[in-house]
Order: sequence, then C-alpha cells, then structure tokens
Amino acid sequence: MVSQPFSRVKRFIFDIKQELFSTSSVLSTDKDKSAASKESTTEGASKRQEGRAETPKQHLLDIIGNMKVELSYRKKLQQLKANENTKQAMNELEGKPLNPELVKAASAVASSLPRNKKQTESELLAQLRRHEETTDKQKKGGAINIRSVNVILEMTVKRQSPAQRGARISSGISLQLDEDGRRIRPERSSAQSIDSRRYFLRSLWMLTDCYKISFSVSPPTIWDLEFAKEVAAVTAQPPRNGFEEMIQWTKEGILWEFPVDNEVGMEDDAEFHEHIFLEKHLEAFPKEGPIRHFMELVICGLSKNPYLSVKQKVEHIEWFQKYFEEKKELLQEI
Amino acid sequence: MAAAVLWWTLRAARQVLPSPCPRQVRSYYVDWRMLRDVKRRKMAYEHADERLRINAIRKNSILPKELQEVADKEIAALPRDSCPVRIRNRCVLTSRPRGVKRRWRLSRIVFRHFADHAQMSGVQRAMW
Repeated sequence: MVSQPFSRVKRFIFDIKQELFSTSSVLSTDKDKSAASKESTTEGASKRQEGRAETPKQHLLDIIGNMKVELSYRKKLQQLKANENTKQAMNELEGKPLNPELVKAASAVASSLPRNKKQTESELLAQLRRHEETTDKQKKGGAINIRSVNVILEMTVKRQSPAQRGARISSGISLQLDEDGRRIRPERSSAQSIDSRRYFLRSLWMLTDCYKISFSVSPPTIWDLEFAKEVAAVTAQPPRNGFEEMIQWTKEGILWEFPVDNEVGMEDDAEFHEHIFLEKHLEAFPKEGPIRHFMELVICGLSKNPYLSVKQKVEHIEWFQKYFEEKKELLQEI
Repeated sequence: MAAAVLWWTLRAARQVLPSPCPRQVRSYYVDWRMLRDVKRRKMAYEHADERLRINAIRKNSILPKELQEVADKEIAALPRDSCPVRIRNRCVLTSRPRGVKRRWRLSRIVFRHFADHAQMSGVQRAMW
C-alpha cells in the first residue's frame, strides 16, 4: 500500500528522536529479580505484626488467618525451592544446546553482581532457556500453520473431470449459435453439479498420485511445476461463492491469512544480542570526540528499535561511516 | 499420444479462456493530483532513510556547527518531492483533499454513502 511507507517514515523519525534525547539502563532487570524473592518474605512478616495490634477476638481470628497464610507461604516457598532444585538438575542434565557464549556471558554477569551469585546465574539461565523455547515454538508453530494452509490451498483441485473439460473446450472453440450455446450451458451446469462431486475426488486423488510419484523420483523439475500451473489455470473456474473468492484472493496475496500473522514479511533470524550490542560495528570510528559520542547515541537508539532488522541497522551505521569519511577534510579543518 | 492431446487441449483452452474470473481492475488514477500525490509518496519512501540520517546530524547539539550547516545544504539539495510533508492524505476513491477520515482513507461523502448502503463493516448510524 502506498501509505505504509509514510507511517514507517514517521516511526523512524519518532525512534531516532527518542534515541537522540534519552538514556538507557540495562542491568536494572537483573537486580529486580534477586530483590523479588526477598520482598515476599517481608510481606509475610508485616502481616503478622498487623494482627497483634487489634482486639483479642479479632486478634485470635487474625492469628488463625495468618497461620493459614504462613502455612501457605511456607508451602509455596518449599515448592519454589523444590522447583528450583529440579530446574537446576534439569539444566545440568538436559542436553539442549544453550549457546555456550550466552552461558559464559550469564556467568560473567552473575559474578559481577554483588548478591547471591548462584541464584542470579540460575535465574538468568532459566530466562534464556524460556526465551529460546518461546522463539522455537513461534518458529515451528508459524511454519507449520503456513505450510498446512498452503498444502490445503494447493491441493484443492477445482471441479472438472478431463472428459467434461474436453467437451467444454471443444464447444468453446467451435463457433456456435446463441441458441445452441444457451441450450448446452444449462445442461452442462446440471451435469456438472451431479457428476462433479464424483469426479472431484477422483481428480484430486489422481493429481496427488501423479505428484507423489514425481516427488518420490526427484525434486520437482521446472516442467512439473509448469504442468501444475497449467492444470491449475485451466481447471480454475470462476468462484461459486464468497468463500472461494476469498480463497482465490488469499492465494493471490490480495487478502491476508487469518489469524493475522504480524511477522509475514519479516524473517529475522538474528539473536537478541545481535540487535542490542552493536558496538562491534563502531570499530571504524575514532574512539574519542563528538563523532564517537554521536554514534554511541545512534547505537543506543537503534538497539531499542524493535521494528528494524539487523541488516537495516548495520546499513544505517555504515552510511554514517561513509558520510563522516567523506567529510574528514572538513572535520580536520575544524 | 494421450499426453500430447492433453497438452494441446490445455494450450487451446488457455487461449480461449484467458482469465475466467471477472475482476474490476483499476487502471487509471482518479485525477492528475492523485497521480502527483502517488509520485510524491514513492519518492518520500525512497529518500526516507537518507532524510532521517541527515536530519539526525542536523538536529544535534554534539556535532560541530559547520558539519550541521553542510548537512543543511545537503538536505536542501534533495528533490523537493522527497519530503513527507508534501504528501496529502486524499480520498482513495474521489481524490478529495479535505474531509478525509484516516482510518478508512475515504472522504466524508463517500463514507456516508457506503455506510448508508451497509457496505462498511461495523459502522452504524449514531443515535444516543
């Protein structure tokens, strides 16, 4: 659509303005996690203190209530600990390859933080694992859905048997009077409706058999694909109802596939660290001075931008590199 | 032999029934102003990245001012139709420049026409 680029431009402008006029804090999330476990215990303590301040009856009731709360908290804590132990055991035993670089980075971060190194490290590893699982699920799930839909769309052979097709074509070629045409058409339509169901399944199975044979021998050649396209083009009848019209539009690309897949055009296989840690692209720039400062801000903004692919971000940085190299003489005068 | 016959029938069929599905194909824009707007949008899309980067250099308090002046001249040298400010959100069907609702890209008159004929999904006459 024509107006899509305009909104994209606006988003660019917004993002680059943000990058120029804001700062970021990276490590706050890790500290929050380790603090969360301590907060739950303090909440339990405060509840106990409130119960003692009221009248004896309510006091008793509160104590009973708090005991229940305490028990449930204890059970939860025990369960959490048990889960953590099992998770740690699982982490060690599971052969699923977490990127060794990521593991090293996680351990380095954990060791750099002041509190409870083992706990933070295990939590970071669990986060990484969950992240990888979700990305894998999305990739597999999305791929399977699209593949299955495409298979179904391609394999539905629309209606005609070869014999009927031949008859129709011959009638179309030979010049006929209107009366003949009018007579023949309603006949054929009724014949179609009766016999087409029989022939539909038969033609479908015939085609699937043909293609199974051809695929088993070798990867589909160009001639096979051409043949498939020709068959589809000839057997394609005008859509009988709105559903078939929508199917045709989806095949052509006019209509989206539902449920809407937000990531249709984008196939970004890059890991999150390639998006965020862009400093390695800054090696060609001078290490001090206003240009370095400017480029660091650019990188900060790009790392926060979820709408660009890694390639586009790298292109931005390379453009700046070229620009500043061209202006080197001007800069040295200053 | 049968395969050859099949091929021939397919070829013949394709000539006689080129596109069996009738489709409304819009081959003209409504008027010349709409065409010019389309051209401006295409140019703005092409130059969007460049403009963004040059503006990032210009709207800056860190880089030296001489560099920013050079960037000013560069952005002025870009074609005039490449700036997004020149795009006008016209009605898609009538090319009306005013009274266009952004969500539907239609002018108020066309919108009303379709809504009254129940051709706008989920749009109802207001009554409260």
